[in-house]
Amino acid sequence: MAQLNESLKIPCKEEEVEFGVAFRWQHWIRALSIVVLAVSGFYLAYPFLSPPVNAEPTGFLYALFRSWHEIFGFVLISVILYKTFLFFFSKQHANERTSLGDFLNPKVWMAQIKYYLLIEKHPAIKGAYNPLQFVAYVSFYIMIFLLILTGLILYTNVYHSGFGGLINGPMRFFESLFGGLSTVRLFHHILTWGIILFVTVHVYMAIYNSIFGKEGGMDAIFSGLKWKKKH
Amino acid sequence: MENYDKSLKKIFKSRLQAIQKLPKIDNNKSIVDILEEKGISRRDFMKWASYMTAYLGLSSSFVPTVAKAAEVADRLPIIWLHMAECTGCSESLLRTDTPTIDSLIFDYISLEYHETIMAASGWQAEQNLEGAIEKYKGKYILMVEGGIPTKLDGHFLTLGAFAKTGQDVAKEAADGAAAIFAIGTCSSFGGIQAAAPNPTGAVPLSEITGKPVINVPGCPPSEKNIVGTLLHYILYGTLPALDAYNRPKWAYENRIHDLCERRGHFDAGEFVQSFGDEGAKKGYCLYKMGCKGPYTFNNCSKERFNQHTSWPIQAGHGCIGCSEPQFWDKMGPFEEPMADHLFHGPFGGLGADATVDKIGISLLTVTAIGIAAHAAISAVKPPKE
Repeated sequence: MAQLNESLKIPCKEEEVEFGVAFRWQHWIRALSIVVLAVSGFYLAYPFLSPPVNAEPTGFLYALFRSWHEIFGFVLISVILYKTFLFFFSKQHANERTSLGDFLNPKVWMAQIKYYLLIEKHPAIKGAYNPLQFVAYVSFYIMIFLLILTGLILYTNVYHSGFGGLINGPMRFFESLFGGLSTVRLFHHILTWGIILFVTVHVYMAIYNSIFGKEGGMDAIFSGLKWKKKH
Repeated sequence: MENYDKSLKKIFKSRLQAIQKLPKIDNNKSIVDILEEKGISRRDFMKWASYMTAYLGLSSSFVPTVAKAAEVADRLPIIWLHMAECTGCSESLLRTDTPTIDSLIFDYISLEYHETIMAASGWQAEQNLEGAIEKYKGKYILMVEGGIPTKLDGHFLTLGAFAKTGQDVAKEAADGAAAIFAIGTCSSFGGIQAAAPNPTGAVPLSEITGKPVINVPGCPPSEKNIVGTLLHYILYGTLPALDAYNRPKWAYENRIHDLCERRGHFDAGEFVQSFGDEGAKKGYCLYKMGCKGPYTFNNCSKERFNQHTSWPIQAGHGCIGCSEPQFWDKMGPFEEPMADHLFHGPFGGLGADATVDKIGISLLTVTAIGIAAHAAISAVKPPKE
């Protein structure tokens, strides 16, 4: 038995913790939120379902969609804030910050592009993300923060008391910067498409790197562990 | 609160006394006489005054003060200018078949100059305007209807015997005004004239004068909002609380959507699918028919038009957002929801029919093709290890 175990071990690779538990949880909560928000968001933009006929005025379908949109909106805000904190302060996830070094290195940039064009080997990177990945994630966060901002502007115009009332002042200021509520709405919709495109490419690249990278890249987001080549 | 009311009353009193000292145009008639002549009883007038008092957010002890303010309104000299516009704002006040107290007051306020209703023409009209600006310098209220063309040095609009540009006339009148109201969406935000591609370079009044301008947008604005703004000025002598677009908050604070009579159907997800369908007959929500009520700040849903008789949404058509900046460009197409907003010809006109979803789906398709191609090539010729 011990011999079998020994023979199963891949000799040139070692197990390494890529993502901590906090990271993995926020990733999947965020993924779920994005799916719920996109589906309910498209309904809010163009209500494609009608509620069953009901003599009593109790079937508030649109309000229900809006509620779920808001609930998951606030869930998303929470995990995004948490993730932002992790990025800047977590010791365990220092490898994310290290990526900035690779991002600023033009040699790594060229090598990475050549890898995806199937010309060269994958460059050795110091951090968690390669430069292209880093750019994609930075633009993801820019889009998500703009979505949160436009979302909160729309929120404060529907809910005038409580949290909605608290943020009303600054949000109305941003509303006028956007040039009116209809433009805010339009930006919210456009940014949603940005996120959809990001998710599509993100999932493809994750699978691609998992298959060709042969490091168990996809496993890392579930178990946190990755098989790194021994250097 | 009592002290607050007391000091307010003091301000109002001194304001009203000062205005009362001003000369009237027609000494034989007063607003009280006119109202009586038109069959409006004192009782009706006081009812109207208490309504306006509540409307301006004052307590009921102010009713006599507001009534007084309406009565002296004919002493405040007003200069009304027409720029690039359709005269719809004036017409909506002048041509009601059953004039309200608001429109009657408007008819008999001391309009020193108003091109549509004045008897003078040509050189005489020119003299009237110059005379009024000179005589009431620093005292008159300037109301402007219409956007102001600025291209070709403003020569898209010339007025009067000297062929002065609208820009110059408005600037001159604004310089000597005690208060400036931009009546209607065109003078508030540029309106339809300023819609893309804006060939005449039409701009709102606030862009050609450095003075504060109170915007009373709407196409047309309701008479209550115009007269209410005037009453507010008579009483306070200051600017009302304004929102980010200089609209008085007492009229433009809430969205149409907030107080809409069809709001219940909106939350229920009951929508009109096409004009004349079963939902339309039942008074369902007009969101899918392009109602822009959720993005429009005005009091139509509370105030309505024509003596509270009706308003667009009650009549079965969605709001087109006419009191919002650049509504012509931003809210279109008027009978489609915002999700189907069309962009102004990106890519040299190629994208003119594109909605966000159409562009999004196209980009997604391109991405998918790219992914498929990359995956296929990688399968045949894997990346270097």
